[in-house]
Amino acid sequence: MTASELDIITRMRGEVMSRKELTGENLFLAWGYPTSIILLLEFAALMLWNEDWCDWLWAGIPLIGVPLMIYFLNEDYERTRCRTLEQNAILVMWVFIGFASCVGGAAMGFAGVFRQAFFAYLGLLCSLGCFMTGIILHFRPKIICGIIASLSSAIPLFFQGEQWPWQLLITSLIVVVALIIPGHFFRHYVKNYYKEMNAYE
Amino acid sequence: MSNFKFPVINSVLHNELRLKIMVALDSLESANFMYLCEITDSTRGNLSVQITTLKDAGYLEVSRSGSGPSARSVCCITYKGHEALRAYEEGLRRLFSERVPDMENKQKIG
Repeated sequence: MTASELDIITRMRGEVMSRKELTGENLFLAWGYPTSIILLLEFAALMLWNEDWCDWLWAGIPLIGVPLMIYFLNEDYERTRCRTLEQNAILVMWVFIGFASCVGGAAMGFAGVFRQAFFAYLGLLCSLGCFMTGIILHFRPKIICGIIASLSSAIPLFFQGEQWPWQLLITSLIVVVALIIPGHFFRHYVKNYYKEMNAYE
Repeated sequence: MSNFKFPVINSVLHNELRLKIMVALDSLESANFMYLCEITDSTRGNLSVQITTLKDAGYLEVSRSGSGPSARSVCCITYKGHEALRAYEEGLRRLFSERVPDMENKQKIG
C-alpha cells in the first residue's frame, strides 16, 4: 500500500518537473523598449521645447507596457496551462516594483525632489528586479546585467539643476542594460532551448 | 514490544487520482483543468468529481475565468491542502521506514 502511494508522489513530482517550460521571454522586452524609448523622447522633448506637456509623455510607459505584459502573460498561460511558483514569484516581484516606482515617484513629487532623485530610484528598482529575476531563474546574464545596472543607477544623481534632463538619457541607457540586453539574451536562450527540445523529440 | 503507532492516513488523499492532483498542484502555483487532465491521465468527468471532493475538503481553490464554453477552471492548492499532503506523505514514509523493518525483524526472530 505505502510503496505504491509513495511511488505515485515521486512519479508525479518528476512528471511536473519534466513538463516545466521556460516562459516570459518577451516580458523584459515588452517593458524595456517602451520605457527606454519614452525616456529618450522625453529627453528630446525637454531639450527642444522644455514645456509642461512634455511631462505627460510618462503616461506612455504604462499605457504601452501594461497591455503588452497582459498579452504576453496570457500567451504564456495558453501555452503552458499552468503557472509555476518561480513564475509567480517573479510576477509578484515586478508588480511590486511597478507599484513602488509609482508610489515613490508620487512621494518624491510631493516632497519636491522628483527631478533630483527619481531617475536613480527608477534605475535601481529596474536593476534590482533584473538581478532578482536572474537569481530565481539561475540565468547568469540577468544577474550580471542587474549588478552593472544597479551600480550605474547612481550616475543620474550627478546631473542636477540645469543638467537634469541628462538624467533621462542616462536612465534610458540603464534600462537598456537592465531590461533590453538581458531580455534579448533570455529570448535567445529560450528559443535555443525549444529548438534543442524539438530536435531531441 | 514495539511502541510503534500507526499514523492516521488521510482518507481524502488516499485515492490515486486525488493524490495525483494534489502532488501536481503542490509543485505549481496554479494549473488549469486541461493541464490536470493531461498530467493525471484521467477523464474529464472523473477529474471533475475528484476536484470537487478536494475543494469540499478545503484542499483546493477553484476559480473560473471567462464564461460560456470557453470558460476555464484554474485550480490552486490551499495552505490546508499543502499541510495535509505533507502530513500524509510523512505518515506514509514513517509507516514504510519504521513498520516494515520492525516486521522484518520479527520474521527473522520467528
